[in-house]
Amino acid sequence: MSLSAQYLWLIPSLPLLAAAISSLLPRRARRLSSALAIGALALSFFISCAALSTALANPAAHLTHNFTWFELGNDPVRLGWLLDPLTAFMCTMVTFVGTLIFIFSLGYMHADENFKQFFCFLSLFAAAMLGLLVANSLLLLFICWELVGLASYLLIGFWFYKPSAAAAAKKAFITTRIGDLGFLLGLLWLYDSAGSLLLYDNGHGVLEATALGALGSAATVGGLTVASAIGLLLFCGAVGKSGQFPLHVWLPDAMEGPTPVSALIHAATMVAAGVFLMARVYPLLTPDTLQVVALIGAITALLGAVIAVAQYDLKRILAFSTVSQLGYMMLAIGVGAPGAAMFHLLTHAFFKALLFLGAGSVIHAAHHEQDIRQLGGLSVKMKLTFATFAIGTMALVGVPLFFSGFWSKEAILHAAHATSGSHFPFYAALIGVVLTAFYNTRLISEVFFGHGRSRSANHAHENSAVMTTPLVILACFAIVLGFLGTPAYPWLQARLNGETAVHGHSLFEGVGLMVLSIVLVAIGIGAGWMLYGRKLRLNATSPDPLATVAPRVHAFLGARLKFDELYAATFGLLSSFLATAADWFDRYVWGGIVHFLALLGEFSGTVNREADEQGLNAGFDATSEKLRGTGQAYSRAQTGDAHGYLRFLAIGFVALALVAIFGGVA
Amino acid sequence: MLPEAALVIGALFVLTVDLAFGRRRTLERRLYLSVVTGTAAVVAAMYGAFTIGLAHSVFGGALILDELTMATRLGVLVLAWITLTLAGSTARLRHPAEFVAIVLFATAGFTLMAAAQQLLVAFVALELASLSLYILAGFDKSKPESAEAALKYFLFGGMSAAFLLFGFSLIYGLTGSIELHEISAHLARHPPTPLLAVALVMVLVAFGFKAAAAPFHLWAPDVYEGAPVSSAALIASASKLAGFTLFVRLLWPGFGPAAGNVSTATGAPGWLPIVACLSAASLLLGNCAALAQSNLRRLLAYSAIAHAGVMLLGVIAAGDAGHGPLFYYVFTYGIATVGAFGVIGVIERTAPCQRITDLAGLYRRSPLLTGCLAVYILSLAGIPPLAGFFGKFTVFAAALNLGGMAGPAGWLAILAIFLSAVALYYYLVILKQALVVAPASGTSTDAATNRIPVPADAAIVLVFAALILVLLGLFPSLVLRIF
Repeated sequence: MSLSAQYLWLIPSLPLLAAAISSLLPRRARRLSSALAIGALALSFFISCAALSTALANPAAHLTHNFTWFELGNDPVRLGWLLDPLTAFMCTMVTFVGTLIFIFSLGYMHADENFKQFFCFLSLFAAAMLGLLVANSLLLLFICWELVGLASYLLIGFWFYKPSAAAAAKKAFITTRIGDLGFLLGLLWLYDSAGSLLLYDNGHGVLEATALGALGSAATVGGLTVASAIGLLLFCGAVGKSGQFPLHVWLPDAMEGPTPVSALIHAATMVAAGVFLMARVYPLLTPDTLQVVALIGAITALLGAVIAVAQYDLKRILAFSTVSQLGYMMLAIGVGAPGAAMFHLLTHAFFKALLFLGAGSVIHAAHHEQDIRQLGGLSVKMKLTFATFAIGTMALVGVPLFFSGFWSKEAILHAAHATSGSHFPFYAALIGVVLTAFYNTRLISEVFFGHGRSRSANHAHENSAVMTTPLVILACFAIVLGFLGTPAYPWLQARLNGETAVHGHSLFEGVGLMVLSIVLVAIGIGAGWMLYGRKLRLNATSPDPLATVAPRVHAFLGARLKFDELYAATFGLLSSFLATAADWFDRYVWGGIVHFLALLGEFSGTVNREADEQGLNAGFDATSEKLRGTGQAYSRAQTGDAHGYLRFLAIGFVALALVAIFGGVA
Repeated sequence: MLPEAALVIGALFVLTVDLAFGRRRTLERRLYLSVVTGTAAVVAAMYGAFTIGLAHSVFGGALILDELTMATRLGVLVLAWITLTLAGSTARLRHPAEFVAIVLFATAGFTLMAAAQQLLVAFVALELASLSLYILAGFDKSKPESAEAALKYFLFGGMSAAFLLFGFSLIYGLTGSIELHEISAHLARHPPTPLLAVALVMVLVAFGFKAAAAPFHLWAPDVYEGAPVSSAALIASASKLAGFTLFVRLLWPGFGPAAGNVSTATGAPGWLPIVACLSAASLLLGNCAALAQSNLRRLLAYSAIAHAGVMLLGVIAAGDAGHGPLFYYVFTYGIATVGAFGVIGVIERTAPCQRITDLAGLYRRSPLLTGCLAVYILSLAGIPPLAGFFGKFTVFAAALNLGGMAGPAGWLAILAIFLSAVALYYYLVILKQALVVAPASGTSTDAATNRIPVPADAAIVLVFAALILVLLGLFPSLVLRIF
């Protein structure tokens, strides 16, 4: 199978078509709209597979198809599709994970009355995400990027009647928009200095040597080279979308959306778009930019893991773990290993989707109970969910050798260790490994072991096959996928770097580091087991062991380091002050002017109408009104007001003639 | 002459078919038959206009076949086709075949106007079109308003035709030719005289009448209100398109050397200041008077006057920027207006649709009509991404390109932009009734609250017109690159 880049648009347009059709269907068309969504995405998956095989045949090539969208003055605005291993791997992952999550949603959402709408939004999201992946123009990428944001907004707020969901949707949208502003500025600046937004264009694209050379030689702005400044601005977009510090606050709140949405958008795909963007524009990034990226990634990785330790909401714990893992990916890009970042992105997509769907399975079974203190003892009642969830957790924690997360995390740690820059990211990543192992052990112990601590947990039972089958498939991939990029045979990284040959190292090269990380994982699991596994929680109200040790620290972590409060007290206050000022100005200053003008307009309109209707028409209308019954309008019309009309014509003529003659001659 | 021939033969054929087969049928069947035959003639004419290609002066310089001719002919034929199809489903006429035949005659007049390059041909074409339109305006003999409209239109039109002919003869006397390029050459050699100014003003009076520009607009509200829907649609759209093509050809290639200057009142005498006056007056009067209307059709009439102001701005800019912006504007305006009249016509089959409040709750009574109406009205208001926005944009850009704000048409463009904001108000009043206000409560059997049936052919052309507006708004270069 092979696919020309020219037909790459098929991948996003199938889900788009499905979204368009199902938006027109009536609400009761539940089966049709879900079948459309799943069918379209599955078809996209097969096309993506063809694209993947094409891309792998020649991994160094960037196959493009560019075309002119419209012309603005003399400048054509061009868009295009791009096919390379990065695009192909991402498309295949998104369509595959997406299809499984769509299928899971059939079970999870079956009682929802807006079922049809849900699948419509999901398809829209898939279309936008895939469009973002195949774009060969930063402009097209940005358009899809915003569409993805819109779909995310719609899906987070899907249960819009819950005030918390509506607020979370708004928060997600606004927070990511802050980052997008930077992205847009970067885009414009790049267009200004490179003259194009096409990524690859036979040597004229912004990621190709000519443009990069021109950018490198451009003047500096306030100590930064132009290339660094543009890179940082683009990174702002990635920070917003990928929930990096300091814009990570929206991601945990986004868990108000239905769980399949959390799995698809806020774990596997959309939040990875920021990492994808950075990997995509990697040639553009200067060492300065990369240093910032690595720093932000390290802070985020650590921050997410620390906060996750003290959360009680099942989905929020997973959300902070997502924040933390995205931090790892950014860190990998920052230390110059986009291949490792993409490897971790792909494995993370599978095991985190698995974890979220597992959480969804738990939540669905436990009647929407998400508090881990209220759950417990589910390992007996939901065996399949427990087994798959455990596999996902072990992949996330990085349990050695047989789980994909281990290999991808190793790749990142190696890269961070080997970097010539600061070693802070490396140490932050190591601490993160311990914490990840710790909070996941806590999660498993609280949710699955012991005995049920609430009615809903006691009445839980395993879900239907439509929900468990995707879990099993994802669990298989959470194991298998790791072997694509082991140090002995780093096939995936090689393909992403455009190499056809794979240069493997000995499995035991850098074994010291590997042993270190295994020890750290063991420490984390051991500590978690000591605190939570050995003495299981007795009832829902008994205090957390950590809280008894350091109550203040625990409360502070539980409140998510008070980031929301900090933002509310600073940016929130500032913007509400500005809003009040603008409102006052609008209401009294502009409003006054507008009211005055409206009055003026109304006045002159009335005068005009009166002049027209009363002065000129009245006679005629009155006449014809009277004669309507007699049918003699014809004979009298000549004597009516038509004379007035014609007189007016003559007056107009004379006036204009005078203007023409005297205005000119004088 | 292929399109004209197709149209005239088609018109005669319509009459023959009706005479031969129609006498025993019901009115609906006859109308249907006539419309089908007429549509075939229009399609044949389109084919003719396409195949005839671009050739410059033909018939000894009497006609010109350039891009503008071709575009205008096709545009006029599209508008005529929409009008005919709408007539098929909305008109209740006693003489359907005659109606269709006269529409075809009028269209033949329009296509000829598009090609005229000689004063006499121009006049004859104009009269062929105008006389047909007078008849069309008064075609609904059961309504006194229709007769009133026709009579006013005829009196006004006759008077302006007299002005036009007088103006033409003065020009012939001054320059000794009726060929546009010879007139132009003569005007370039000789300084303007007051008599020339009078002649130009006379021509412009007729132009003002055709374009419904203030202060020669008085017929428009009455005619739009009284004439049958499809006649009013034709008068508002195809007639305007052909009229603007004819006059922009007369003014720039013909009287171009006598254009004068609008930036200062003391510049050389010429027709540009007069057109600028007409434009400013139309903009002000049209927009302000439309604010105070409560009758839907009169509102459309005043909005037409306001649009005429913008089109005249396009005429001023056409000397420099070419015909593209003007044609694009007039054509898309025509499509939107025909569509709006079509919606009115479809509603009027079952329910009253005179006042704006008669539209109340249209979104419940017919979502299709509401959707189409929203596209037309928003396009008229100039909301992106519809064609109306881009039309305004290109015209204003062309006008400002003449020399920026301080340029000859800068103040006019600023005025027009400012009044566009005013215009948005009365357009939104229509949409508010259609989209927001609930249907008039009253007896449940009331015609004003029931569902409105939409005939299939009308639905198709209405959606087609809306699609054109969206498509041209998104890809304006489809039209603009012709020129």
